[in-house]
Amino acid sequence: MKRQQVYWDEVAVGDELPEISLDINVKRLFLQASGAQDWYPVHFDPAFARKAGHEDVFMNTGFVQAALVRLITDWMGDAGFLKRLAFEMRRQYRPGDTMVCRGKVTAKKEADGAALVFLDVWAENDREGIATPGEATIILPRTPAGGG
Amino acid sequence: MAYDIEEVRRKYIGFETAKTRGRYPVEHDPIRRHCHMVEDNNPLFIDPEHEGGALCPPSGWLAHYFASLGPWPAVFEPLFPVVPTPGKRIVNMSQEVEWSAHIKVGDHLSVVRRIADVFQKGITIDPEAVWIVAEAIITNQRDEEVCVVRNTLLIHRTPEEVAAANANP
Repeated sequence: MKRQQVYWDEVAVGDELPEISLDINVKRLFLQASGAQDWYPVHFDPAFARKAGHEDVFMNTGFVQAALVRLITDWMGDAGFLKRLAFEMRRQYRPGDTMVCRGKVTAKKEADGAALVFLDVWAENDREGIATPGEATIILPRTPAGGG
Repeated sequence: MAYDIEEVRRKYIGFETAKTRGRYPVEHDPIRRHCHMVEDNNPLFIDPEHEGGALCPPSGWLAHYFASLGPWPAVFEPLFPVVPTPGKRIVNMSQEVEWSAHIKVGDHLSVVRRIADVFQKGITIDPEAVWIVAEAIITNQRDEEVCVVRNTLLIHRTPEEVAAANANP
């Protein structure tokens, strides 16, 4: 099945990526342990997490990164290439939260033959707003000759 | 003996491990499980029949997983070389990944780990918290660099450990 492709020529500064939303609940903690293979108890054992000074268990870096990667790769299409992703784990996602990932185009340029698009990407929750600010650089294909 | 951050910095900044190879090649099922946790149905990652598919999602976490020995069977292979720290609790504060190439199912990855920086900066619950910037340079079976993963890790003591240290300086 061919998926929709985004082309560099058609992208404009200010364009927003379709958001994604994930409920953080007990099932998601199990999925996180399975999908990230991260067995550090701070991510699934509330007593261990509280002893370390945290309010509760919280989602790990692998999970947050996977969500941001999904946000970007869903939007950029099969021919896009994620060149760089950087993000800060400033706040936490805990059971009961809804994590929402969003992004927007901040710049575009051509360099060394590559058609680059720069994004602000972030994840947020209702308790604390933006908990994970980030930025990404992607390479997109140019519009095929004869129209996109 | 008091913790000497300057001695730790002198000894560990620039420290680099030998290259180690992942336990298994890049496989479909760990990718499927990784996608499942965030409801990622991208056929590039989960449908082997999709044109151009059988790619590993561009996640530094997943690349590092495939380049490593994994959590089981347990083997002593720390995420970063063991830098002495007053505490043992770890929080990953940020990550940056720069990609040079796709990772595909069947690739066999290796990793070299490097300590880029170590510094001390207190946090609310621990005034002696230590921060480590650790890099993982990941290559494929052709020795081509596929990505560099840079983590900033906060290593801290529990409130109980801080209270105990304050009571017995």
